[in-house]
Amino acid sequence: MTGTRKWNPSVVMALVAAAMLLVAGVLMAIYEERLYSAQQVKNIREQAQILAASVTAAIVFDDRRAAQEYVEALATNPELQAAGVYDGEAHLLAGFSRGGARLPSAAPGEGTVFGPGFMDVTLRASQNGAAVGTVMLRAVTEPVERRYARYGGLILLVTMGALVIAVLSFSQNALQRRAQQLSVVNSRLQEEMEERRKTEEALRQSHKMEAVGQLSGGIAHDFNNLIMIVKGNLRLLKRRLGPDAEQAGTYIASADEALDRAAHLTQRILAFSRRQPLTPQRVNLSTLAQGLSELIRHSVGEKVEIDMQLDAQGSILCDLNQMENVILNLAINARDAMPDGGTLTVATRDVTLNAPPPDVESENFTPGAYVALSVRDTGVGMPEDVRRRAVDPFFTTKPQGKCTGLGLSMTFGFVRQSNGYLTIDSAPGKGTTMTILMPRDGEAA
Amino acid sequence: MRSRLFAAVGCMIALAGPATAPAVAQGSLEYAVKAAYLTRFVPFISWPDDVFAGAGAPLTICVLGDDVFDGRLEKAAASSKLADRAIAVRHLKGPDASASCQILFIGAGDKSLIDGTLDAMKGRPVVTVTDSGIASRGVISFVVASNRVRFDIDDALASQGGLIISSKLLGLARTVKQRGQQ
Repeated sequence: MTGTRKWNPSVVMALVAAAMLLVAGVLMAIYEERLYSAQQVKNIREQAQILAASVTAAIVFDDRRAAQEYVEALATNPELQAAGVYDGEAHLLAGFSRGGARLPSAAPGEGTVFGPGFMDVTLRASQNGAAVGTVMLRAVTEPVERRYARYGGLILLVTMGALVIAVLSFSQNALQRRAQQLSVVNSRLQEEMEERRKTEEALRQSHKMEAVGQLSGGIAHDFNNLIMIVKGNLRLLKRRLGPDAEQAGTYIASADEALDRAAHLTQRILAFSRRQPLTPQRVNLSTLAQGLSELIRHSVGEKVEIDMQLDAQGSILCDLNQMENVILNLAINARDAMPDGGTLTVATRDVTLNAPPPDVESENFTPGAYVALSVRDTGVGMPEDVRRRAVDPFFTTKPQGKCTGLGLSMTFGFVRQSNGYLTIDSAPGKGTTMTILMPRDGEAA
Repeated sequence: MRSRLFAAVGCMIALAGPATAPAVAQGSLEYAVKAAYLTRFVPFISWPDDVFAGAGAPLTICVLGDDVFDGRLEKAAASSKLADRAIAVRHLKGPDASASCQILFIGAGDKSLIDGTLDAMKGRPVVTVTDSGIASRGVISFVVASNRVRFDIDDALASQGGLIISSKLLGLARTVKQRGQQ
């Protein structure tokens, strides 16, 4: 607020308008002044003419009384200070004076003369064209100083008015500025509120996942133990029956297979609930992806083109087998999103994160160096509500029985268990990009 | 008594202007004023246009009877600058119908002669001026009152002769007999 403040246009306008008003007022005052002066001269001349015309006989016949009557008829006009009638010899015949004015004893020359505070109008009195005498009228005029004082008052008023306008518009502008600042602050507040709402949503989602994970993880763990007991007992049973019991062996093999499937399922649930036993080791994601490229090619089929952009140099710490599973899983998801073919891009790069990536709540985020692995397809994409629920366990958009709805949940669980993040960027018709962000291993560089 | 009166008149004449002859003798001041007045009536009276022979024709002041002005009327007429035409002076011994006068001064004299003349001039465009001290009265009659030479005007009589007397002159008269009065 300090320093050079630019003059606001409306303030300047107000001042300019005031100045113009002032100039116009002064011009008008001068004009009025002239007009008033001319009007007064005209008025007094008319009175002098009337007197000159009516007093001629009195002059000619030397009738002072009649002349005095004519002159005194003018005394009703308060403007007149003195009036005189002079005969043909320029001697004073009749007249009156008041307010300290003195009539000249001899007739002055014809014309109008201005003095300080008065003016003299002298006219020839003539009858039938012949001059018989002279009349003179003296009228008071308002002193110049008083008139200027009057105009000065007006000018002062106008100037004060202009200043008031200027101050008003100035404060108006200040108010407007303040309102603008307020609206900026307000919109920022709105944004922050929206952000907070999203964060809360994400937190809620995360808590939900946590709860589901814990519950299902606990069940799966016990369940897994039970499966192992059943499995072990089946093995003992098979051994006791011996090789003769072919029929029973078939049943046992079928039950054992079902138990394997059940174990696999519980394994997946454990992966999602981040309770699976992991054996972290140093992995270079670029090398890993490169090594998987053949397998991916086989998995996605002929219709999908594969583009590998493996720029990451850094290594990470994670379970190698699980990471392979994750990459394959993502590739297969991408394929399923592109039933009519397209391009699958697998990319890795080194990034430095200073702010949490989308959908990651800030309390779970650690800034630092990361390696990003993204799998991008050019497929159908996901609407926002699907994208939000994509990692929920048992949520799937694929036909019933084709998938368990645990693929992405597992991936999410594994990535979180490995201190990484999973972000999904998608929109209907725009394809989907799944990005895994893993913290870079400090020793590798 | 009389000498004081005329002394006062004389003072006024001295102030009255160039048309007034200066006082020469106290006894004749009254007539000096009257002579000046006769010429000064001219600009305040309008005659019908046809009384003058032409635009440049002079206006004639006739004096009936003795020359009471002793030549001062001629002087006043000659020095008058008020009239828009020259002023001529004629002395008539008796009533003369053929004489064209615009102003006829009637001095003291035989009453029947005066009345006869006034009767003869009635209805004609002649301003009859009767001297003070005469019972009969013309359009204008001189009066000496309050040490001053003044005059009465019979505007009714003037209108009979088609004469128009300026209201300014009427305003100065001591009495005015208005038009329409009998």
